[in-house]
Amino acid sequence: MTIEALRAEDVRKVYHSRGSPDVEALRGVSLALRQGERIALLGRNGAGKTTFLRITSTLLLPTSGRIEVFGHDVVSAPEDVRPMIAVVPQEGKPFFHLTPREQVYCYLRARGFSKEVARSRTEAALEKMGLGEVGDRLSVTLSGGQKQRAMVATVMATEAPLMFLDEPTIGLDPFARRAVWDMLRALTRRGSTVLLTTHYLDEAEALSERLYIVEEGRILFEGTAEAAKRQIGGTLRVSIENGGNHRELFASFGQTVAEGASLHVITEPERIHEVMDVALRNRLSATVGPVTLEEAFLTIVGRSIDAE
Amino acid sequence: MAFGLKWSGSGMFLATEIRVQLHEWLAIVTGTLTPGALIVFVAILAPELLPVTVIGALVYSMFLIGQRVLNEAAYIRIDHKLNELYHASPLSPEGYFVGIAGGMLVAYLPPSLVLVVILEILHPLPPLGWLVLAASLIGVWLVSSTIGYVVSTLFKDMKTIWPYSALLTNLFGVVPPVFYPLGRVAIEWRSAVLLLPTSAAAALVDAAAGLDPITTNEAILAAGALTVEAIALFAFGIYWARRTAREP
Repeated sequence: MTIEALRAEDVRKVYHSRGSPDVEALRGVSLALRQGERIALLGRNGAGKTTFLRITSTLLLPTSGRIEVFGHDVVSAPEDVRPMIAVVPQEGKPFFHLTPREQVYCYLRARGFSKEVARSRTEAALEKMGLGEVGDRLSVTLSGGQKQRAMVATVMATEAPLMFLDEPTIGLDPFARRAVWDMLRALTRRGSTVLLTTHYLDEAEALSERLYIVEEGRILFEGTAEAAKRQIGGTLRVSIENGGNHRELFASFGQTVAEGASLHVITEPERIHEVMDVALRNRLSATVGPVTLEEAFLTIVGRSIDAE
Repeated sequence: MAFGLKWSGSGMFLATEIRVQLHEWLAIVTGTLTPGALIVFVAILAPELLPVTVIGALVYSMFLIGQRVLNEAAYIRIDHKLNELYHASPLSPEGYFVGIAGGMLVAYLPPSLVLVVILEILHPLPPLGWLVLAASLIGVWLVSSTIGYVVSTLFKDMKTIWPYSALLTNLFGVVPPVFYPLGRVAIEWRSAVLLLPTSAAAALVDAAAGLDPITTNEAILAAGALTVEAIALFAFGIYWARRTAREP
């Protein structure tokens, strides 16, 4: 039987502030996460991602709507929800005057873990996040990336049933990002559920089983990265150098996007030969590559902006 | 779990805060510099007031420890977002508040104990005097910690918060009769002054030490005000901690 880790129904949030107009941050967001899933929430800055994460993690009250974490109401019973969640806050930093080892251990102990469990999980988390060598240095002396890794290690060591990670890999180098990905994959294999926001679309694609695209407080898309790519009318992109002035030649093959002097044609594999033929006949150089999630994201969000 | 309060994890969070503060030992030591400087002034200018000033320094130090809650709670909320890490966890909001307040107390109290030794040398207190001193200092700490925690939650940037700590410390610790005897205050102002937790505490200890006698009515007023303020404000602090753990 599938267990639902999170269910949100028609969640709305309006921020009121004196002297300035109300801001409608969420306009009826509904989504559901099954236990063990890794889900990414994508959107532009100010789309409502962090607001949603803060509401679901009991840090912010919604204006209306219903949210349940493992069947417990987030609004009326936050004390039942909190033991089951852990959060990496956006731009959060560890205690500067603790070492990463102290930071992780103390947090686990404050969450109620025994000394033995806290100690072993601390060592494992520091090791996995590549902090073993700096584990006994005060965090104030660490680099920005190391501080971020200490925050991620702190939360991941909890192995909480539901984890919210708000841009967890910001400022991390590619190796450290992959270490976070590996750790998240291992956690979900053990049954934890992960909801993360990120602006790195390669990360969302590599890590999440499903993704939600949010724009202006509404969900525009829900599904896999592949399904998002299919939404834009093809899975391959032909980039034609100096093709910007020949748009009409390629319009019939699929969506065309001009970028400077270049032209991108989004099409399906079976039409690639025709597109390349036209390009060669017109002595235009062309390269073929897969459509990226970033292109899908730009198209889906761009379409919504155009519609408004 | 009286009144639905949950304290699990708060001891460990308190220990975390102590550990954080102990890494900043210079700040701990310099916490007694201001009252120490005032004692030097008084020793030179009016040595007969020295025991009163030392008692004032103890009250002031205790108020200052509470005000450190303001800076610490604001710092870890605004600069580090660690409040989110802890609020989205089994640690209760009241445990978080008491953890910070208790951590500041344990870390910053030892240097203040030097003042106790000085007092014992200058003017040994009778047993009742020590009892009154201890109770009064606890009352001042409860009031100041709560004010500090509540004020820390009201603003969104550190620069706005900084002046409040200095303002409150001067308003409660320097202006009213804390470092000087209540007897120097005009009779018509005495009742109002005794409503302030710091001057009430100082007046009670000064009287118990036989340094500056007060009337029975003044003693009742001071003790009553300090007790009510300490209990009511601390209860409000817990309510406020719970309320602000989740933004509206």
